[in-house]
Amino acid sequence: MRILAVAQNTFREAVRDKVLYVLLFFAASTILGSKALGWISIGQDVKIVKDISLAAVSIFGVLIAIFVGTSLVYKEIDKRTIYTIICRPMARWEFVIGKYLGMALLLAIVTVVMTLVTAAYVLSLGGSVDTTFFLAVLLIYWELLLITSLAVLMSSVTSPILGALIVFSAFVVGHATTILIDLPEHFHGTWTEFVLACVYYVIPNLSNFNIRSEAANGVEVAPAYVLWAMAYGSVYTIMLLVLASLAFEDKDV
Amino acid sequence: MDAIATQDLGKTYRSSLLRALPPSLDGLSLAVQENEVFGFLGRNGAGKTTTIKILSGLVRQTHGEAYIFGDSVRKRQARRHIGYLPENPYFYEYLTPRETLDFYGRLHGLGTRERTAEWDKLSDLLDLRDIASQRVREFSKGMRQRLGFAVALVGDPKVLILDEPMSGLDPLGRRSIRELILRMRDEKKTIFFSSHVLGDVEQICDRVGILVKGKLTSQGRIDELLGKQDSPVEVIVTGLAADVVAELESKALSTRVSEAGHHLTLQDVQTANEAVRVALAKGGSLVEFTQLKESLEDHFVKAQEVSP
Ligand SMILES: Nc1ncnc2c1ncn2[C@@H]1O[C@H](COP(=O)(O)OP(=O)(O)OP(=O)(O)O)[C@@H](O)[C@H]1O
Ligand SMILES: [Mg+2]
Repeated sequence: MRILAVAQNTFREAVRDKVLYVLLFFAASTILGSKALGWISIGQDVKIVKDISLAAVSIFGVLIAIFVGTSLVYKEIDKRTIYTIICRPMARWEFVIGKYLGMALLLAIVTVVMTLVTAAYVLSLGGSVDTTFFLAVLLIYWELLLITSLAVLMSSVTSPILGALIVFSAFVVGHATTILIDLPEHFHGTWTEFVLACVYYVIPNLSNFNIRSEAANGVEVAPAYVLWAMAYGSVYTIMLLVLASLAFEDKDV
Repeated sequence: MDAIATQDLGKTYRSSLLRALPPSLDGLSLAVQENEVFGFLGRNGAGKTTTIKILSGLVRQTHGEAYIFGDSVRKRQARRHIGYLPENPYFYEYLTPRETLDFYGRLHGLGTRERTAEWDKLSDLLDLRDIASQRVREFSKGMRQRLGFAVALVGDPKVLILDEPMSGLDPLGRRSIRELILRMRDEKKTIFFSSHVLGDVEQICDRVGILVKGKLTSQGRIDELLGKQDSPVEVIVTGLAADVVAELESKALSTRVSEAGHHLTLQDVQTANEAVRVALAKGGSLVEFTQLKESLEDHFVKAQEVSP
């Protein structure tokens, strides 16, 4: 399978990238250091550890998605390794999707590793992990898949630096979409309101993927909600990947 | 059917600053027959790489059409027929030649056993065995070129498109690439390659095309282009009496005497043959018979001036 060959190679390359290990090191330090923050509220240890650790999984996953993702296609063009690849009897979208899937595999493994570290740490503190904890991780991963598809789109149209800035901004705004429509009175009826409202409807609401406080506090989340959030993310992800494929289709390399 | 055919092919790159760029390729029409070795010549910036990139599907033309065995280069099918060697081939630095060929084999949908067979065949052909487990990062230019050739041959394509396959190689390296090209011709492949090294081109090409600033100014068999048929001939003869020499000299365009003998430059092959017959009949001997053809280099330089 051509797509799988590209995916596997993308994964192999990322695994040999130093950035990955630097980020993983910081993630592990944050998770294991979270207890220090937990002392502030005595008796709340496990909750805080869970909360901070899940946040760390999300943030470091996003950083990896941004750092590695925004250079996925760009680097192949820049280093000209793409010349001998897209001259093969394969469609360009297969290349884009292959790069994306390689990245998705990498993030899956990174997420699983960070989750296992967190779970082991929580257990060693005498706490327990329940279904909601794992559902929270699942939604974090689903959000990473969405972020990565945006990163791949950026990597096929612009440089990694600009791409990273755009993806990071989208991530920040996506987590605070309501500020776009909760405007002060004097904005009502202005063009600014209209433009911001458009942005609101275009940018995915990433807080839909955030059930971390429920997980930390052991509150149950309806499976239907999780499924809905996953479907919501998939729609955006597929749209972004289609856009990335289209953008790459007629590009001169 | 032509292996490669282009009709009025043109490319104008889009500039990033909205400034209009001149066309890099303009109205290129050519046809390369199956099992032909075609040399594509032109100075730096003439548009050779642009043409080759269009044929390999890396760049989209802005005008005209190009076909590989009848399939438009805009379509994926066209790329089933080709093996492409870029100008300076780049590969994943962290892979070994074996892993590299395996990767490309998978892109062609080859199974594990076929990929092993491909490796056995290509590593022998290109002498990759002794560097099989070295990473590409540590490769010299010559090793990269060899690997590039092997990568181009993965999937056994019918047409090879090579962008300056001999550039940067030492004389032995260039010779082995020349031999490879001839070997591929014997295996009934079609070879389209660009080059600056006119000597190499002269030795192995059936036909050439010369590109000047994006336009094709000259195309054809090398001997036709260089007008070999009616070019002058120099003969050197010795052991002749003075009156015979005088008679022969009267028919020559120019004459000269050296240690080797009497040099006579005669108008064409026929006159030269007559002169030789006379010389031999009179007891002389023939030392040398050379057709004074225009070199490809002369023709290449002339072709540059034809440009409008
Ligand atoms: N990506 C690009 N964007 C804009 N202009 C380009 C691009 N690639 C090539 N050109 C221009 O197109 C023209 C032809 O370039 P091309 O690389 O095809 O020449 P070439 O014949 O291969 O030259 P060389 O012998 O130096 O390799 C040049 O003027 C070059 O500047
Ligand atoms: Mg070139």
